[in-house]
Amino acid sequence: MNSRQSRHLAFAGLFIVVTVTMLLNISIVATVSNETKQMFDYLDGLPERSNIIVSFDHEASSLPEMKPLGLVILRHLFAKDHNLIGVALLAEGTGVGYRLMQETAKEYNKEYGRDYVFLGFKPQFIAAILSMGESIGGTFPEDYLGNTTSEIELLSDIHNYDDVAAVVSLADGSLTTHWIEYGNEKYGVQVSAAVAASMLTTYDPYISSGQLKAMVGGLRGAAEYENLLGIGGSGARSMLAQSSAHLYIILLIIIGNVTYFRSRKKG
Amino acid sequence: MDPGTIVAGILTIAILSFLYGDNPVYKMAETLLVGVSMGYVLVITWTNTLMAVLFKPLFVESQLWLVIPLIFGLFMFGRFHKSTSFLSRYSMAVLIGSGAGVAIPAMLGARTLRQMTATVEMVQGDSFMMIFSGMVVVVGLFSTLSYFYFSREHEGIMGRSARVGTYFLMIFFGTTFGYTVMSRVSTFIGRMDFLLSDFLHLTN
Repeated sequence: MNSRQSRHLAFAGLFIVVTVTMLLNISIVATVSNETKQMFDYLDGLPERSNIIVSFDHEASSLPEMKPLGLVILRHLFAKDHNLIGVALLAEGTGVGYRLMQETAKEYNKEYGRDYVFLGFKPQFIAAILSMGESIGGTFPEDYLGNTTSEIELLSDIHNYDDVAAVVSLADGSLTTHWIEYGNEKYGVQVSAAVAASMLTTYDPYISSGQLKAMVGGLRGAAEYENLLGIGGSGARSMLAQSSAHLYIILLIIIGNVTYFRSRKKG
Repeated sequence: MDPGTIVAGILTIAILSFLYGDNPVYKMAETLLVGVSMGYVLVITWTNTLMAVLFKPLFVESQLWLVIPLIFGLFMFGRFHKSTSFLSRYSMAVLIGSGAGVAIPAMLGARTLRQMTATVEMVQGDSFMMIFSGMVVVVGLFSTLSYFYFSREHEGIMGRSARVGTYFLMIFFGTTFGYTVMSRVSTFIGRMDFLLSDFLHLTN
């Protein structure tokens, strides 16, 4: 078997493992980690009807991982009756963010313009974060739907970060760092994050230093958060598949190492 | 079924067909993804940047000072011709100068000073585990820094310290790689969840 065939075989094996475990349709109750509990407690402890910026700082390609995270965060925030201001610092996050907010708002009978608003995308994320610190309305003269922001009820008392209790950055890359460096460091706004698993190690030091209030990450984080909220979702539904996929990968690593050492011995 | 779901389902299967091998169906889906993504970003950039921030305020609201960024922007196209390529240097100078001016103080504060403070604070923790963790972080910090210190030969204490630094680096790379694999598996599981539940209705 050549390397190309063995690669295809490894992928095909993963495909079978994931498909079979998902067809079993078993939701696993994930044990809640300290990080996820900290994020839940932080958002849960914000005063009712706090103004919160939810920033969709991810691309469409990471949607399978970011959607479950975004949904649990939005559900929690809407359930606590907070005022949500959606923004996107990446162009691809615009449509995704609006759709997620709209879907979740419907579940909680929230009204656009009164309970939540989506301001859309602003290019040059550093300039956008800094500009919102001066004036949110000035940075976004119009919302995503083309409404003049000065005429939106929700934004009548929200001028800049002084009127915002927290920023939740939904990120698959390093954009949360910019919220920390410019939003938190310069304007003092509290930043928390829901990030792709690949970014967890990047943001860990910011949790230790207190620059990031709390963080939840990956599909596992979404499943744990669903557990804390007491709702089901794609996070919990996918946990068995994820655990099986991890076991499969560990098995491949063992097989790979054994094969490598045996071939070295022979030759 | 919603037409969007049908299209997304077919395209997901087309991408997964790569498991069989590189084929025209996969190529078509891949090209479509790149094209649609570029088109989407282009439209968003046009409406949210050029129209909203430049053309509308300049030509409709007569904010004449916006002529300056417009000219600097046009200078960038100077790169297309040898005789005018020097013009783009002015735009680049403004871009890099202002970018560095904004970024350096912020990064120095957030990434260096605050992180150094947090490192020292951990050593002064109130529990044994906290102090122990703090000590590990300090050892990791100095040994990793010594690995990247190239002005002195990595021999003796310096060499041993650099060697310890490589262990810390390996642990970091290993953890990050593990999380990245976890992230990619999650992405695949998310697509399979969509296929099996929304598209094929085989699961709830």
